[in-house]
Amino acid sequence: MSHRETAPEVEPARAPSFEQALKRLEAIVARLESGELSLEEALQLFEEGVRMARHCSARLEEAEGRLEALLRDEDSGALMVRTFEPEGRGSLPEAAEGMERGAASG
Amino acid sequence: MAWGREAGEGTEGVQSWARRPAVPAAPGTGARGAGVAGTGAMGTGALGTSALGAGAALAGRVLSVADLTRRVRARVESDPGLARVLVKGEVSAFRRHTSGHLYFTLKDEVAQIRCVMFRSRAGGLRGPVGDGVSVIAFGSVGVYEAGGQYQLYVEVLFPAGLGELYAAVERLRRKLEAEGLFDPARKRPLPLLPRRVGVVTSPVGAAIRDVITVSRRRFPKIDLLVAPAQVQGEQAPRSLIRAIEDLQASGLVDVIIVGRGGGSPEELAAFNDEGVVRAIAACRVPVVSAVGHETDVTLADLAADRRAPTPSAAAELVVPLYSQLQADLRAASHRLAQGLVRRVRLARERLELLTRSPVLRRPEALLQQRRQRVDELSLRLAAAIRGVLRDRRAQAEGLAGRLDALSPLATLGRGYAAVLEGPGGALVRSVRALRPGQRVQVVLSDGSASARVEEVHPDVAQGDRA
Repeated sequence: MSHRETAPEVEPARAPSFEQALKRLEAIVARLESGELSLEEALQLFEEGVRMARHCSARLEEAEGRLEALLRDEDSGALMVRTFEPEGRGSLPEAAEGMERGAASG
Repeated sequence: MAWGREAGEGTEGVQSWARRPAVPAAPGTGARGAGVAGTGAMGTGALGTSALGAGAALAGRVLSVADLTRRVRARVESDPGLARVLVKGEVSAFRRHTSGHLYFTLKDEVAQIRCVMFRSRAGGLRGPVGDGVSVIAFGSVGVYEAGGQYQLYVEVLFPAGLGELYAAVERLRRKLEAEGLFDPARKRPLPLLPRRVGVVTSPVGAAIRDVITVSRRRFPKIDLLVAPAQVQGEQAPRSLIRAIEDLQASGLVDVIIVGRGGGSPEELAAFNDEGVVRAIAACRVPVVSAVGHETDVTLADLAADRRAPTPSAAAELVVPLYSQLQADLRAASHRLAQGLVRRVRLARERLELLTRSPVLRRPEALLQQRRQRVDELSLRLAAAIRGVLRDRRAQAEGLAGRLDALSPLATLGRGYAAVLEGPGGALVRSVRALRPGQRVQVVLSDGSASARVEEVHPDVAQGDRA
């Protein structure tokens, strides 16, 4: 994270969310386009912008297409995550298929 | 008297209606028993004997059945107390005509009224209705002239029990609203890209399948976590509350969809349950409600952060379009790079401008200018100094001349002598300071001599001069 420009909305414990990073990126772009920066400031902001873009990309790609159910163990009462099997007729679009379709249209 | 009024004067208001007997007076007296209107003004005896008299009485006073019926209809349909009324009663003789219109009778222990609910009002049938069902009907009283009947034209009809259900929901709504549970300021924004979407709904049925289908279409790799729950029946409220709380406790989801497909008011009742509504309001994760169809609004919808008309619509609200986010990110990255390129180009242009400037290319030119100036100024300085010196010298010489003129040495040079008292003594200015025999010093321009005073001769005319 740049030390010059602070981003107060960033949680200290983890990397920014997609939304936070995208907002920061757009703010950086606006400043850069205003043309009022020194060359050094411009370079620093550019670096931070690249970092934000990478965060966004990471967030966008980290989803895994999981379909799970949150259940309670009958004995212990503890919460568990299991694969979810929807019942009923017909089949649902698989996450993988959907990904291909999505990639084609994206 | 009142019977003699013409038709069309019906707009007298409720009071005049109340003065009349509620039930048409039974034929009792002789003249009225003859069934002739308009006798009031003439008295009952007028018709009794003469046929001629009867004819005269009858002419112009006889109404057709249509006229009479029209009068009744005008009277009834102009009464505001018979329009838009709510009536409770038991249904009987319920039948659906081939035309699609519903015909039935509403009755209680004392009276009954024919009802009709036209097909165009079919949406007003809220719940199962049939013979023997206690209902509440909303509509207006009118007169069906062809049938000689007054009837209730029904717009909304629902089982009386349901009416109580609605009333209870309304009471609960007011209570929770007063607590601020539905306050718009409490609504939270939905995350742009949720890490994982929680879904509280029945594990079987169209709702969950719709959510999954729509979600995957918009963002193929979106992660979903389903908390299965019963969505109707006695166990439903507890099941829904548990599912919502479990999802929140897991810490795995950024947003929760709570919903189910369409159903009757009783089937949707769990989403009006106080516990469920409170659980949604208290949930720390944003909640989108999706209960039933577009027109079904439950208290859960009011408490949620967003309301979707259907589970599919909820998925559209919650799950972003992967392609759109990708495009946005690409555009922003492009502008970022372009921004830097422009900034660097600007710097380069400025540098070039500077290197082209004459000062940088021939720096000695600047120096020459300066040097020349320095020379110029030096000359002027020297001249100025000389000038000043000249002036001062002239001044000094002038002063020296004056000094010279005033100098006692000049005076002595002109032949005067100064007399001092003894050697090195004071200057003698007056002859009266001298005594004969006194030793004095005589100073001339080129030396001095010691002398002794012989005689003193003061001038009498000048007096004392010290």
